[in-house]
Amino acid sequence: MMISAGTFHVIFTELTIGMFALSGVAFLLCALQKGPESREAVAHWALLGGLIATPFAIISGVNAIPSGGIDNPLLANKLLLSMASSGLAIGVLIRRKFGGNVDFRHAGIGMVSVGLMLTTAGMGGEYSRGETLLFLIPKDTVMIFPIWASALLIVIAMVIIGKSTIEHRTR
Amino acid sequence: MRLKLAAVLVLLVLSATISAANPGGKGDDVRSRDCAGSFHASSSSNGISQAILNIEYPDEVYAGLLLEIHTSVESVEVSSNKMVGMALLVNSEGAKDLPANDGWEVITDPNGGTNNYVEISDSFSSQNIVNRTWTLRAPSNPGTYDLYLAVQHGSPDGGVAMTGISLANPVSVSEVPENLPRLSADWEPVNVREIGSKTVITLETENTESATVELKNGGDVITIPVIDNEFTIPAAVNAGVVEWRVILEGEGPTQNSPWFRLTAQEPGWEVDEFALYIQGIALLLLGVGAVILRRPKGGDIENKYDNTDVVTNQFEQTLAEPEPTPELQTSSSPPVPAEGLPAGWTMEQWEYYGQEHLDKLAAGEL
Repeated sequence: MMISAGTFHVIFTELTIGMFALSGVAFLLCALQKGPESREAVAHWALLGGLIATPFAIISGVNAIPSGGIDNPLLANKLLLSMASSGLAIGVLIRRKFGGNVDFRHAGIGMVSVGLMLTTAGMGGEYSRGETLLFLIPKDTVMIFPIWASALLIVIAMVIIGKSTIEHRTR
Repeated sequence: MRLKLAAVLVLLVLSATISAANPGGKGDDVRSRDCAGSFHASSSSNGISQAILNIEYPDEVYAGLLLEIHTSVESVEVSSNKMVGMALLVNSEGAKDLPANDGWEVITDPNGGTNNYVEISDSFSSQNIVNRTWTLRAPSNPGTYDLYLAVQHGSPDGGVAMTGISLANPVSVSEVPENLPRLSADWEPVNVREIGSKTVITLETENTESATVELKNGGDVITIPVIDNEFTIPAAVNAGVVEWRVILEGEGPTQNSPWFRLTAQEPGWEVDEFALYIQGIALLLLGVGAVILRRPKGGDIENKYDNTDVVTNQFEQTLAEPEPTPELQTSSSPPVPAEGLPAGWTMEQWEYYGQEHLDKLAAGEL
């Protein structure tokens, strides 16, 4: 029996959201400077776990769309939000790897990443069940840049990443 | 205490109902009867529907040609959302029961799709009969075939999911007469179109000298000319369904096709997926860059490779104590007893376990 992409999407979504949610709670404790010493390790390792599951969730989600293509603004926003969340999460992990202190801003960025991913999941619920608690978010509006603008953003981002990495290494 | 707790847990488990309903439905799809159970529950764990189910066929059904069948659901009490899942099947065993298993093809289901399982919301009640029409292509081999109509629905109190299936409805599929005017075997109607655009349909016929199209327009039927096997259905201004059929004339007996349903719907949302993916990658990289651009301040850095302090301390220690004694002991190890190390012990073992040994001696444990 063939397992559908929708089933895989549910599995990877649960993995992603579970780990991101755990990471979010740990980052909250980091921001408040409360709780056990292990909060920093939990926050970053859970974030890494969620990050590993994210590409599988995105790919299986795209494959699970009945029409085979992105035919709903909710789906487009889900893709953009999950990619932005993944970017922030990768940045948080790299920064920590290079020795960045887990201060309020670091933990705050971690929580923003988690928030974006949870919003993505909430929009998935609206897409499949037509119900949501995210009343105030303009989910039906999609801002699509022209390709040249996205390409320019990619170049800028690569320059920033390259410059930052060299500076971190030379310290 | 444990026994009481276990008894409470067992009681809670036993109090749960065995149905696992999806009262909102699971959507139209190609489903066998077991899978169709996902509409409300597994087919092995729910109640028996009291619905009266029926299928009506046309007088003549020819192998490989299109036909229209009518299904009816009568005397059924459903849940408050008035939804019933209907499945067209070829047996009642829950396996290999899809119409395709016997060579049937669903051309148009009651919802305008091509599925054997559809979810219908209508005025289902014990007094009403709800009829639906399906367009099928008959199996290519003549013979007698059975079709079944199965239903899944909720109950008025919402507690139990119900399933039901009709008796076998046999239909005789005949060989196609040689000169029968007909639509080509590989021709299929268009089921869906967008609001505001007219629809040009091209017919492919066999043994046909002339064709005329009839279109239902409200209560009337209007005739549309067919020119070079093409005809045009005017644009729809609202979402809805128009029905049309073609009358084929030739040497053989005149044939009426089934009524085909053309559903007009709002234009779908479209996006340039390449631009979307590129933008997604840009956001990902920008997110990475934005975070690591914020470099750690000098005081924030915990560089695990920075051993400057350790090396400096070692130099200072070396300068302050130019001739260290060979018996130099670490501050954590106890002094060696006058009688020497315990038998078989090395100095390294004494450094680690010496204090523990002395403690045990003092406590009289050795």
